[in-house]
Parts: sequence; structure tokens; C-alpha cells
Amino acid sequence: MKTLRSLALGLAVSTGLALVPAAGFAAGASDTDAERQARWTEIATSIFGDRKIEPTESLIKVDAPARAMDAALVPITLTMPEKDRIKGVHFIIDDNPSPYAAHFTFGPAADPGELKLRVRINNYTNVHAVAETTDGQLYEAAKFVKASGGCSAPMGMSDEEAMRGMGDMKMKFSGDAQSGKPVEATLMIRHPNFSGMQMNQVTRDYTPARYINKLTVSYGDANVFTMDGDISISSNPVINFAFVPKGSGPIKVAATDNQGGQWQHSFTAPSPSN
Amino acid sequence: MAGTRPPSPARRLGAAAFAALALAAATPADSPVNVPEPAGLWTGPQHGYTPTTLKGATILDIGALDALMAEQPVLIDVGIMDRKPEGFPANRPWLPAHRSIPGAVWLPNAGAAPLPPADEALFFRRVDELTGGDRSKPVVTFCHPECWGSWNAGKRLVEKGYTRVHWFPEGVEGWQDRHDTTVLRQDPAWAARAAEPQR
Repeated sequence: MKTLRSLALGLAVSTGLALVPAAGFAAGASDTDAERQARWTEIATSIFGDRKIEPTESLIKVDAPARAMDAALVPITLTMPEKDRIKGVHFIIDDNPSPYAAHFTFGPAADPGELKLRVRINNYTNVHAVAETTDGQLYEAAKFVKASGGCSAPMGMSDEEAMRGMGDMKMKFSGDAQSGKPVEATLMIRHPNFSGMQMNQVTRDYTPARYINKLTVSYGDANVFTMDGDISISSNPVINFAFVPKGSGPIKVAATDNQGGQWQHSFTAPSPSN
Repeated sequence: MAGTRPPSPARRLGAAAFAALALAAATPADSPVNVPEPAGLWTGPQHGYTPTTLKGATILDIGALDALMAEQPVLIDVGIMDRKPEGFPANRPWLPAHRSIPGAVWLPNAGAAPLPPADEALFFRRVDELTGGDRSKPVVTFCHPECWGSWNAGKRLVEKGYTRVHWFPEGVEGWQDRHDTTVLRQDPAWAARAAEPQR
């Protein structure tokens, strides 16, 4: 695959050179595409080593606004129609300095058909979603998103204010619980998720990075998902997911951040009425 | 054309800008539409509302910059470098990529004020080299919207006697709205300057 990739890249580069006029800046595709592809290859290698990643139209889809209203709060929807085959999902923002935004691993109580989260985006960039199937294969889908400045955008309040109530959580459910049928849930966590790239405009110091690095959601004794998080996840994280209620709840959420913060909350989940 | 149109406010502050427009008469300063030029370099926070003028320089919008490109201006990007958060986990990829206007020279944070004297001298030396010593060669300074760094860089060049200084306040964001960007590495001569904290 590595050879195939470099071959493809080589072709893209030479095509690019052939097509792009000397003025360069007026050009459409090609050399930039090749550069973006090379960037993705570099990131993918740093995360997945030389594991093969196949493009897919069906196993995972990534949806984001083509032009984001707020680069610090870009809504992302990941759809995995063949959900029974999905073991986990990686989300990568190519041009963020820290590209590896999140890794979700699904447990037995998950319904991995859809995930939503909100992220920071630093520059016009491709974003990649990589699905890992139960047989250990990787499949990728991408989308180009126009947003910039998200990683360093200040929150517009003092750090103290941003940290007030840190670790508080809410969860909303939608739909009636029927045994074996998935229930959608929205988890909201109060946490500034400081990126470490945000400068306090008054003191001109950088607010230290403080972000949720591990999030575990379970239903009863069964894991729904585990997320490894990063500075690219927006402040006050909101994650939409689905689970399959079997037996009785509650839904438990455990979160930790990179500065040793630990929080646990329990929610009464809708349980199948019969 | 150049100089006749104020730069468009940053998109995410658009609503605030319109609100401020309505209040402009009541609030003489600290609004995106009424920022007076400082007498010299701006020494306050680099990120913030900037003036719509720079005495002695031409203000460019993207259309004016496109027109100027035919003259192959020297493009100076003073955007600051992404700062790696302290304690960033060693096992996660940290791969900053500075996207900018193709052909630009990236002198990170060269618009800071004050600059250490040696750095300021190096900035002037690099511009002198890039213009081939021709002070009438068009030069464009830019970084991002609401970034004083490129205003300062332009101001320095005006005061140094450059006669065709252009300031492109929309910066990389204004460019990438219409054109491709490319990943730039820091100018090697600038990178080699006496180590100052890279922030």
C-alpha cells in the first residue's frame, strides 16, 4: 500500500506540474491536492503506521458545513450505515497542528450508526473519518471544510469563568425505549477544553491546555463507547450517540482531563417498558 | 480598487461589527469600524480591531491584491507560529502546517512591537534582500484578519522609506477564500535569528 500510495502521489504531483500554469496562484486543482494528499499520508502514517486504509463510500460518511459559522465550534456528523461492522472511529482534522481530534471505540451497548461532535478547525482543511471494522480493517472518508482560527480563538471570558462548573454534565434522550431498539442521547459536558493555543488578550499568556482526554459511557454494565479526546474538541463538549438499552441502566459517564480532573455522573436512561 | 474600500471585517465577528456600526457614533474607539492609527507602531495585543488605513501605505482587498500579483510583489507573511501546548502528549501527532499565499516569505511574529533590535535589523535586511535593494518595489504585508502584526510590519517599511508598501488586512483568510494556499516553512534566515521564545 505504501508503494501504491507513493505511486499515486507521484502521479498526482506530476499531473499537477503539468497542469498548473506558471502563475500558480490562479490554478485550480492538482498541486494543492497533491500537497493535501501528502499531508494526509504523513498524518495517517503517524497514527496508523503502515496499515492499509481503503477509501469507502458506504462504511463511513463525514458531514460538516462546507463553510463553518464559528471555527471554534464546527459541528461534525459521522454516519456509519453498516453499523454492525463498525468497531471504532477516528476523526482527524488534517491541517490542525494537532490533527488527531478523537478516537471512539464502541462497546456492546453501542449503536454505532451515527456520532456527532463539535470541533475546532484551524484552517481551510480536509477532515478525515476513519472507520475500523470488527475484522480490523480501516476505511476512510473525507470532506473539505472552510473555517479558520478555531484552535486559538479565545472563549470571550476569563479562564476562571470558563472553568466554572467544570465537569458538570447533562444528558438528553430522544425516542421511546423499546427493547433492542436504539435510543439517541446527547451528552453535554461543561469543560473549557482549553487548547493551549488560546492567548489571554490581557496578560498575553497562553492559557494552559486543559482538555478531556478520556470519556467512557456505559449502560448498566455494558460499555457504549470510549473516547480518546484532544485539544481539537470544542469547549463544552457535546456528543450525540446512540445506545441499545438491554436490561436496566443507568447510563454512566466517566471523564478525565489531562490535568488530573475526574468526573463521574449517572443518568436515568429510558429503559424498555417491556 | 486599492484604498477605496475598507477591509471586510472578519466573518465570525460580522454580526458584532454590524452591531458596532450602529453604535459607532456613540463609541469612538474600540470598535471594528473606528480604530484610529497609532502614531507609531502598535504595542498593544497583536490580535484586535485594526485601523482601515496605514499612512503611507496602500490598503488592499483581495481584488486589489489579485491585480497587484502581476507585478510580482514581495509578499511578507508575519503570522505567528502555532504554539505547541506545554505538556502535549508525546505519543500524539503534533504537525503544525502554516498555510499561506504561494510565494510568500514567512517571518513569524516579525510584526511584534517592540522587536529585539537584532530581529528588527534582520527584518529590514531580509526585506532589503527580497526587494533587491529597490525601495520602490511593491511589498505586501499580511497575516490574519484583526492582526496588528502585518500593520506594524507595513508601518516599519513605510518609515524605512519603502514607497510602495501594501497592507492586506484580510490576510491568509482573505486569500484562501478565492485561491489555494500552500504550506510555508519559516524563512531560513529568520529561523536562524538569536533564539527568542517561539511564541
